[in-house]
Amino acid sequence: MTSAQLEIQIIAALVAMACAIPGTFLVLRKMAMISDAISHSILPGLVLGFFITNDLNSPFLILLAAITGVVTVVLVEFIQKTGLVKEDTAIGLVFPALFSIGVILIAKNANDVHLDIDAVLLGELAFAPFDRLEVNAIDIGPKSLWVIGTILLTTISLLLLFFKELKLSTFDKGLATTLGFSPLLLHYGLMTVSSITVVGAFDAVGAILVVALIIAPAATAYLLTDSLKKMLLISCFLGVFSAISGYWMANFLDASIAGSMTTMLGIIFLIVYLFAPKRGVFSVIYKEKHQRIEVSLLVFLLHLQNHVEIEERHVDHLQKHINWGKVKSKTILDLAQKNNLIKLSGNIVNLTEKGTEFTEEALRYITTNKETAIEDLKAKFFLFRG
Amino acid sequence: MIQKKYAIQIDDLTVAYNYKPVLWDIDLLIPEGVLMAVVGPNGAGKSTLIKAILGIIKPIAGSVKIFGKPYKKQVNKVAYVPQKGSVDWDFPTTSLDVVMMGTYGSLGWIKRPGSKEKKQALEALEKVGMLEFKNRQISQLSGGQQQRIFLARALVQNASIYLMDEPFQGVDATTEKAIINILKELRKAGKTLVVVHHDLQTVPEYFDWVTFLNVKGIASGQVKEIFNDNNLTKTYGINYKVAINK
Repeated sequence: MTSAQLEIQIIAALVAMACAIPGTFLVLRKMAMISDAISHSILPGLVLGFFITNDLNSPFLILLAAITGVVTVVLVEFIQKTGLVKEDTAIGLVFPALFSIGVILIAKNANDVHLDIDAVLLGELAFAPFDRLEVNAIDIGPKSLWVIGTILLTTISLLLLFFKELKLSTFDKGLATTLGFSPLLLHYGLMTVSSITVVGAFDAVGAILVVALIIAPAATAYLLTDSLKKMLLISCFLGVFSAISGYWMANFLDASIAGSMTTMLGIIFLIVYLFAPKRGVFSVIYKEKHQRIEVSLLVFLLHLQNHVEIEERHVDHLQKHINWGKVKSKTILDLAQKNNLIKLSGNIVNLTEKGTEFTEEALRYITTNKETAIEDLKAKFFLFRG
Repeated sequence: MIQKKYAIQIDDLTVAYNYKPVLWDIDLLIPEGVLMAVVGPNGAGKSTLIKAILGIIKPIAGSVKIFGKPYKKQVNKVAYVPQKGSVDWDFPTTSLDVVMMGTYGSLGWIKRPGSKEKKQALEALEKVGMLEFKNRQISQLSGGQQQRIFLARALVQNASIYLMDEPFQGVDATTEKAIINILKELRKAGKTLVVVHHDLQTVPEYFDWVTFLNVKGIASGQVKEIFNDNNLTKTYGINYKVAINK
């Protein structure tokens, strides 16, 4: 691995982390699409800054572009507040307008600046190691490494300082207001951090893919945890993992680094979406299937409890009486027997002592709907779990 | 001149959404230590009144004073129990963590909750009978349990005034009893409680003070004095028995 390769991976990892942190809050605030708006509409700010400074990593340019990002949010909110258009429409109106101004600015000056539409859309991480930062004529690494490193450090410090405030205002804006915190200030703080992060990441991954780095890790982490702290950590980890594995994938395929990173994010999301232990598609299907079986089992047990007549408790009769298909009634008979809830004498089904007790408890839960009763059931029997 | 002590004093309050008034020139005095129901039909502005007291909504006219001072100076004296639907229960957090949020007000900016705050939160959870669910993710709670979590969160604020927006909405009879017992205990401890309430039938049993509201203030006073046919008809526009059975 050459030092340029190492530098690219470090930059990619830092970009991914810097995006994942504000991304977590944007996803929880259901504002994911605002990152799309910001990433496009900073373009005119970026281009103007570039004309003035001639340096994509100049702090002045970053500031100017970040201001454009915040202006986007303000404009979207302003249009939305008039009540004449909805939020998604307002977003769709604002960012193409600003983006197109940027595109025209680039096109008009395309001949003499090093900034083209491809780079704007997709970024060019591979060139990052060529633009060095020198202090007293000593090379201290690629400029973009320093830029994104500074942004990430600032983001982490702000997160540590205002974690409590961000959590509260994201979960319950009303309470945040009444407790004397300013949700508005926090909102614009988050928007500013998001804008600066997008500008910092822009050079590396471009306007379209930066959205994936912001949203995908958070959306994936959301499916994996019940804690905000863990969600932040998992987001960052997934971002870094995709950055590095994406780099090697690009290396192997001889393809775009940013494109490969995003593809990795997509693959990871898909895997988690399908296989996440509690919220994944398969886990939900499995749970629903089991709940169906358990409800049928309960119906079956209640039927046994309600009928002493032999003919009502004959195995063959049960199948047509309770309206089950053959496979299902066998599943339920087996399940009940396995848990010692029933015993078969010939073809006649009888409730066991445990079966009677279980049925009574389940019935009590259904009629009283008391949570304590169900807690008992969960511990004692397999039913009602999860 | 000796002034009687009012927990909340509302003068000429008018609140509008998009220039359409939802509360019209409200004058309301809420004495300290009452357990008060705010009743009125849908769209009467009951929730808006609570939000205006808390400064969540800015009024276009009038003023609200908490113990004689503007709300901003009395933030720590007021606790708020919002409607359950006002937050996203899929948020990645636990019961205990939500209750801890009640301590953030006294902590102020930046300072983080420590073991003292955790202890307060656990005590509040125990009071509402939710201690065993402290580590449960909040989406895994039933509606009644979520309401109790909100109540516990208000309890840790240890405020003088509690403003509650329909705390009995969607809870079962047992939870309703449990909540009202806690409210009565708070009143005994000298707290002032303002509760947006829907079930007219239970007003005389639960509350000692009542405010009738329908965009304008209709009447406010002791339940045994003003909870009558006349005021109910004025508020709901239909006769008392119909209103009560609704």
